[in-house]
Amino acid sequence: MHIDWFVFLAQIFNFLLLMYLLKRFLYGRIIKAMDDREAKIASRFAEAEDLKVKANEEAELYEKRNRMLHEKKEIMLNEATMAADAKRKELMEKVRTDVDAVKARWQDMLVREQDAFFYDLRQRAAKQLYATARKALADLADVELEERIVDEFIRRVKALDEEKSVQIRKAISGGGNKVIIQSAFGIAEPRQAQIEEALKKQITNGFTIRYLKQPDIVSGIELRVNGHKIAWSLNEYLEALVESLTETLQKEAHTT
Amino acid sequence: MEIVSLNQISPDQVIIWSWSFIVINATILYTWLVMAILVVGSWFITRHLSSEMNVSRWQHFLEVIISIIRGEISEMTKKGADHYVPLVGTLFLFICMSNVLVVVPGFVAPTSSMTTTAALATCVFIAVPFYGISRNGLFHYVREYFQPNFIFFPFHVMGELSRTLALTVRLFGNIMSHEKVVGILLAVTPFLFPVVMQILGLLIGVIQAYIFAILSMVYIASALSAEDEVHHTETNKEGVSA
Repeated sequence: MHIDWFVFLAQIFNFLLLMYLLKRFLYGRIIKAMDDREAKIASRFAEAEDLKVKANEEAELYEKRNRMLHEKKEIMLNEATMAADAKRKELMEKVRTDVDAVKARWQDMLVREQDAFFYDLRQRAAKQLYATARKALADLADVELEERIVDEFIRRVKALDEEKSVQIRKAISGGGNKVIIQSAFGIAEPRQAQIEEALKKQITNGFTIRYLKQPDIVSGIELRVNGHKIAWSLNEYLEALVESLTETLQKEAHTT
Repeated sequence: MEIVSLNQISPDQVIIWSWSFIVINATILYTWLVMAILVVGSWFITRHLSSEMNVSRWQHFLEVIISIIRGEISEMTKKGADHYVPLVGTLFLFICMSNVLVVVPGFVAPTSSMTTTAALATCVFIAVPFYGISRNGLFHYVREYFQPNFIFFPFHVMGELSRTLALTVRLFGNIMSHEKVVGILLAVTPFLFPVVMQILGLLIGVIQAYIFAILSMVYIASALSAEDEVHHTETNKEGVSA
């Protein structure tokens, strides 16, 4: 078998040339492209792994924050509940106080109304009693009630003991020798003279009397001088009547 | 048209142009053709390579081929496969392309010339010590020829030469004989039978390219591994003595 050495060397050269050209145009480029792709894939995997780790960390952080938030919510809820309880108690206390105050006001008002009622009752009862007594006296004895009241007043003046007389005397002289006699009715001149005579006789001389008509003094007459007085009126009887009536009404109220 | 007649055993005998000792025959011409196809094709495909996920079909095709070559080399050398890809890959691609193009009417495989196969085997013959020495140094490589003792030196040398010769003759014999068989069958049998033989020829051509490349790598790898073994043994001895 003949071998042409020129062809032999040429083929070696051709092969080496082909090897060089393929290394330049094929292997180098292809291997580089594959390696680059592998590197990119690896970097993407690494990136994905990093992202996964980061995501896990984020998730843990979120979980932790969520837990903290939950705990905080519980604490706030407890605090709010406690605050609401305290507020409720405070409001209840306030309401109770207000109710007590209203109740007290109401009771006060009730008492006042009761007082006003009894006052009114007393006034009416006195007027009625006065009218009834006067009519009775007028009908039975044919004597004016006012006359009997003046008589009683004069009797009381005359019945004053020594000590009382001295006190009144001092009061008259301390009050500028002025005496005021108030009555629910007008007193006739002769009767005024009788009163003056009785006073001068029993107590002292040298004073002036001034007569005033005062409807508030129920069917009565009174002498007032510097803190002392001599009086007679239906009030004394009426007050006893009112007390008895009050007791009766209160018993009625309690029973109802 | 018969470029290489039946009585011509090799395309070397088809002289196209000659001057003094310079001869351009069919072997060189077809070698250049194969080289041009490979280089231009590679350049054309690798002009716009993409390292992204979306790549062209041709790039995929080349990546598959290169990956297979790298994989085969990696199985033998374990590491540094890219270092041997140009030699082994070029051997495979050149021989495979030469053998496959036989189906093209008028084409004569350069590998059916013993000059070509001898040149390729010589390249392997030179590459084995080249890689061995560049990897482990001259001393370790030469010492391997005297293992287990100096008596084996002639046998090692004979082994190197004989396997080079084996590479040469195996490829040349297979391709040349196949061409001759197809040529003879065309003359004596109906048309269908030579077509089947051509298909068989494609298979044989690819297998021969694979065998040549793999054997080359085996020779290189055996030289490298032998050096590695010596290196490991020495390291172990140093470790024990220390």
